[in-house]
Amino acid sequence: MNRTVLIIGLVLTAPLVWILASGFGKNPHAIDSPLVGRAAPTFALRQLNGGETVGLTQGGQPTVVNFWATWCRPCVQEHGVLTAAAARYRGKVKFMGIVYEDTEERIRAYLKRSGAAYPTLIDEAGKTAIAYGVYGVPETFFIDAKGQILYKHAGPLNPQSIEGYLRKLTQGSP
Amino acid sequence: MIAQLALLAAVSLPDVSAVVGPPSSTPISGKALEEHTEQLSDTIRCPVCQGSSVGDSPSEMARNMKQQVKELLALGFDDEQIIVYFEASYGEFIRLEPSKKGLNALVWLAPLVALVLGVILVLRRLSGAPKVDHSQQPSQGALPDDPDLARWVLKVRQEVFGWPDGEPPEEAS
Repeated sequence: MNRTVLIIGLVLTAPLVWILASGFGKNPHAIDSPLVGRAAPTFALRQLNGGETVGLTQGGQPTVVNFWATWCRPCVQEHGVLTAAAARYRGKVKFMGIVYEDTEERIRAYLKRSGAAYPTLIDEAGKTAIAYGVYGVPETFFIDAKGQILYKHAGPLNPQSIEGYLRKLTQGSP
Repeated sequence: MIAQLALLAAVSLPDVSAVVGPPSSTPISGKALEEHTEQLSDTIRCPVCQGSSVGDSPSEMARNMKQQVKELLALGFDDEQIIVYFEASYGEFIRLEPSKKGLNALVWLAPLVALVLGVILVLRRLSGAPKVDHSQQPSQGALPDDPDLARWVLKVRQEVFGWPDGEPPEEAS
């Protein structure tokens, strides 16, 4: 009888222990995205400066899509990192900044002060952010030339991390 | 020009059909649309909130999602298509009531299995418990063999039960 109780106890508790143990092994700040490894949602958005609509279509050039806002301190911290990377990879990788829950006036004033190296796009009613499963900002998606999301980075990028992503993104690109 | 017009069309709504196929229900409007939007929004988790639904949360993200639910219902997408669209971006986390498939089924099945196993365990224990043979029980008046101990037992009986000399009274037949 004691053996039976032991086996039943193990059968009931083992899955719970496995779930807890696998949870401990994960980075609590990392947010898994079901979109990684799949085709990036296509979009076409209005530019902040009133230029022509900019979009992401399937295929073309490797692309970095960054969701950000001026009220987000880490976004402001990584702005220089993204600007420098965009300049370094000009002609090889397209960069796009998509405004997340912010006003055009504030974004315009910020970019006037800090400079803009790539298009800033207005996401009406947050539909593109929803399509990309954005939880908060900053979040950055690295999309290969085939239009597939290779990586999602939640939180601010630093020069080392973005360089790592961009090297992998441009491997095999002409 | 044509390419630009195509892009402008996409500005109004992301390509939901690319994810879930064409609308499989009939478009609704007016009061029915409002009611259905509220109802469906209550089943979708707000991704930036602590366990509240898109219908309950006042956050801008939740309001945007609720608005998109309304637009999709108005276009004729059915409930499952709309949930699957959000699920494609956020994963199953977005469902406030997870589906009863795969590992999730454990949440529903485990308590039932535990209950059944518990009942079986109790029944087996009860059926296997040794039967009490009342004929083998010592009578109330039995005393230990040790005379000293027997003397004390009688004394205790006298004190506790009020039996004269510690002997139990004769049972009326």
